[in-house]
Amino acid sequence: MSNIDRRTLVKGSLAAMMAGAAFSRSAFAQSAEPILLGVSGPLTGPNAQYGTQWKQGFDLALDEITAAGGINGRKLAYQFEDSQSDPRQSVAIAQKFVSDPRIVLELGDFSSPASMAASPIYQRGGLVQFGFTNSHPDFTKGGDFMWSTSVSQADEQPLLAAYAVKRLGLKKLAVLHLNTDWGRTSRDYFVKAAKEYGAEVAVTEGYIAEERDFRSTLVRVRDANPDGLILISYYSDGALIARQARQVGLKQTICAASSVYSPKFLELGGEAVEAVHLGTRYFPEDPRPEVKKFIAGFKAKYGGQEPDAFNAYSYDAMNMAAAVVKIGGTDRRAIRDAFAKVKDVSSVIFGSATFDVESRRVKGAMNAELVVRKGQFALWDGKPT
Amino acid sequence: MSSWLDYTINGLIVGNVYALVAVGLALIFGVSRLINFAQGSIYLVGAYIGWVAVVQLHTPLPLTIIVVAAAAAVVGLIIERFGLRPLQNSVRIAPLLATIGISFVLDQLVMLTFSPNPRALPSQLPDVRFQLGGGTIGPLDLLIAGVGITSALLLFVFLRYSKLGWAVRAASQDRDAAMQMGVDVNRVNQAVFGIAAALGGVSGMLVGMYYNQIDTAMSLQATLKGVVAEVVGGAGNVPGAVIGSLLLGLVESYGVAVFGTSYRNLFAFLLLVVVLVLRPNGLFASARQAPPEPLTGTFIAPSRPVRIPRWALAVAAAGFAILPFFPVSFYVLQTLINAWLLGMLALSLTLVAGTMGQVSLGHAALLAIGAYTSALLSLTLSVPVGLAVIGGGLVSAALGTLLISPSFRLRGHYVSIATLAIGEIVSLVILNWESVTRGPIGISGIPPLSLFGYDLISPTSIYWFSFAVMVVLALLQGRLLGSHLGRSFRAIRDDDIAARAYGLSLNRYKSLAFIFGGFAAGVSGGIAAHLYSYINHETFNTQQSILALTVVILGGLGNVVGAIVGSVALVGLPEVFRIAAEYRILIYGIVLLLLVRFRPQGLLGTI
Repeated sequence: MSNIDRRTLVKGSLAAMMAGAAFSRSAFAQSAEPILLGVSGPLTGPNAQYGTQWKQGFDLALDEITAAGGINGRKLAYQFEDSQSDPRQSVAIAQKFVSDPRIVLELGDFSSPASMAASPIYQRGGLVQFGFTNSHPDFTKGGDFMWSTSVSQADEQPLLAAYAVKRLGLKKLAVLHLNTDWGRTSRDYFVKAAKEYGAEVAVTEGYIAEERDFRSTLVRVRDANPDGLILISYYSDGALIARQARQVGLKQTICAASSVYSPKFLELGGEAVEAVHLGTRYFPEDPRPEVKKFIAGFKAKYGGQEPDAFNAYSYDAMNMAAAVVKIGGTDRRAIRDAFAKVKDVSSVIFGSATFDVESRRVKGAMNAELVVRKGQFALWDGKPT
Repeated sequence: MSSWLDYTINGLIVGNVYALVAVGLALIFGVSRLINFAQGSIYLVGAYIGWVAVVQLHTPLPLTIIVVAAAAAVVGLIIERFGLRPLQNSVRIAPLLATIGISFVLDQLVMLTFSPNPRALPSQLPDVRFQLGGGTIGPLDLLIAGVGITSALLLFVFLRYSKLGWAVRAASQDRDAAMQMGVDVNRVNQAVFGIAAALGGVSGMLVGMYYNQIDTAMSLQATLKGVVAEVVGGAGNVPGAVIGSLLLGLVESYGVAVFGTSYRNLFAFLLLVVVLVLRPNGLFASARQAPPEPLTGTFIAPSRPVRIPRWALAVAAAGFAILPFFPVSFYVLQTLINAWLLGMLALSLTLVAGTMGQVSLGHAALLAIGAYTSALLSLTLSVPVGLAVIGGGLVSAALGTLLISPSFRLRGHYVSIATLAIGEIVSLVILNWESVTRGPIGISGIPPLSLFGYDLISPTSIYWFSFAVMVVLALLQGRLLGSHLGRSFRAIRDDDIAARAYGLSLNRYKSLAFIFGGFAAGVSGGIAAHLYSYINHETFNTQQSILALTVVILGGLGNVVGAIVGSVALVGLPEVFRIAAEYRILIYGIVLLLLVRFRPQGLLGTI
């Protein structure tokens, strides 16, 4: 019990205290143990920011699920174990979850080394590893207990390429990418699609996640003489590159992958990210009801803070987990089978999500073409920048 | 041609940024012969204090700088008074470890206070840009250069012409003699830590403004680059640190120009290794400078090891061997498997660092070499897994020894820095040598462990297998230490001049130690690769090397049983503290500090 998300516990006990009059009801709540999900992710270490973002998305989704009556009357809760994105710790956590009969489903981990090192244990232990940010093409090949709602880069990158090449009319591109499994895979899909659409890729540069200084890289970019810069980056490094590009006098159009979609990108980039184009899965004024509900709920819960891409991934993942548990109950194998059965789950990222049973991934992410205007993300109106 | 001018300018600009950290490191090293691994954390603290001042309190820039400098100086004084001064008379390696512990604690405190999300730290200077070459520079570039050069000059003048400066230099040359002459060494240390911390804090804030971004991950990177720049310029040499930083910036920039961005850090660390091998005292050390490092014998503590009777060891081993027959959870077994794998690495490091005196900070590279060799042998050449793991050990032994051999003539801290660099180089080569290592995509689908055709996939069988391998390696190492080889190793560690006078060939014995150590580490990496089924260049990172060194020092340098006890403790503690969630690494750091404080010779003592 001790590790169940503290917030839930505190809330639960507060609620119990206040509902002192309704004694019989609180006694009932105590007898019904929540259905427990395991989360393995970074809360400390270099990727800690992503773990905290996950929590925000999870907690929002859980509030809504509880408000809607939980899972057939039972509450849903999660136990978050900090792995620091370290494979040594994620394998230990995997054994912990596998041998804990209360855990019905596992979510995470964040990085590929940590997630995929744990996969054999989940597979052999018969516990679903639901890696909702695992874009590594081999992740779901780990076995039939590996499922992912991470947007496949084979889907996303052609959309970005179409935006850059067909819509914005860029002909000669420079691609800067994070030199991780995600960035590398994305780059390859992007370059392939961009070439198909008739653009030339003049230069590609991979950089490590800790990199801060891009001025020399940008000289290489300048010398290749592109008419557009493509950033396959997260928001913090994306903002750094945009700033430095403007500082060294590069005025080309910048087009970025959806992972920069975060209020932090605007905050960190300042004026330099003005007129940056990006493809995203949803946007603030999105008329879709699930997006409206997500953004309104998120702002209400977190003091007006705008949600970002990782909040949306984890929010969707928790809703998906709830939908799966609703069908599969609390039996681990039945839950695995439920992933194949679950249909049209309302999703911020996919609109409605249904798994492709063959690849154990979800296809057909939503797409919105945005641009930064006056320090805000706005739907691109087709005007050149 | 104009591009080369731009690359040069960019190199100097980023070198400028490195100089801020390097000067602080050089100052501390100059006085206390200590590489302050907490300098990056002070830099981090300074950046966040700057954020509070600028964003919350809206202070003007001059006031911000004063606030940050004062607050960081206080942090530095606290570190000196409570973290390092109690260790004054202890082993020389204890303060090094203490600074690592302090950096854990500070980083975690910042993370817990401010959340790990990056923040914007807006510059308070007017946004004007000056055209320079093909690009532009802003007022912050000039301010950073001004702060770096001015502080280096001021320090230089302070050390050369002021009375306290003389005291600092006297204390750095001979602490005891300085004390006899009436120098208050503690006051000197205080002054130095205060100044270095103030400088570190201000530099963190300026660099944060420069990139308009601060986050908790900036600390380790700052320390790494600062250490490289400082050593290139000549450890302890303040003006040298500035020039070393500029040189580092230039080498990185030209590296990017010629080979591309992903080779950038490779050049930084190659520069370091080349300088260390050719001019171990740095480029700007004067010939008449006293040897900057004490003899290794004083680096590692002589102490009386705790003798554990053989029967007790046998009982403990038997107890662990039959553990899976008791109702213990797979989680416990898996944690112990991690401990046994770390134990093999610690055996390797305790031999190299403890028995031989070559304190390595890049030991994870040996894991990586073993893991990649074993994974590739079994995947591409279909070598049976058992043989592949042994192959991993052999290649790791051979390649590891070869890579480290140029730095055999280094001593003390310089070995640590060289091995740190070699570790980074190995990881970057793995990242870039895509035709063999598959680059950032990594190697997936590595077959599970198997022995004579039987797959070892249950936690119980992996537990027995890794435990047995570790015990065999430990017994071999115990045997080695008892032989004349072990005595020669220790002789070289304690006094290499005397050992040489007795006709011992230093290089040959150092090679032998690295061969044996490389094998043990390579086997550990090989087993890990088959256990995880997926590895990439991030699987075996610098944190692993630091963890291994912590284990070894905790257990007692050179102590075989200590290495294993230390592994169980350091794998176990973070798991035990899981209940504390976000606070567990903080607690771990504090426990580490307390251990260093009260038992610097390690739990079981140096052998």
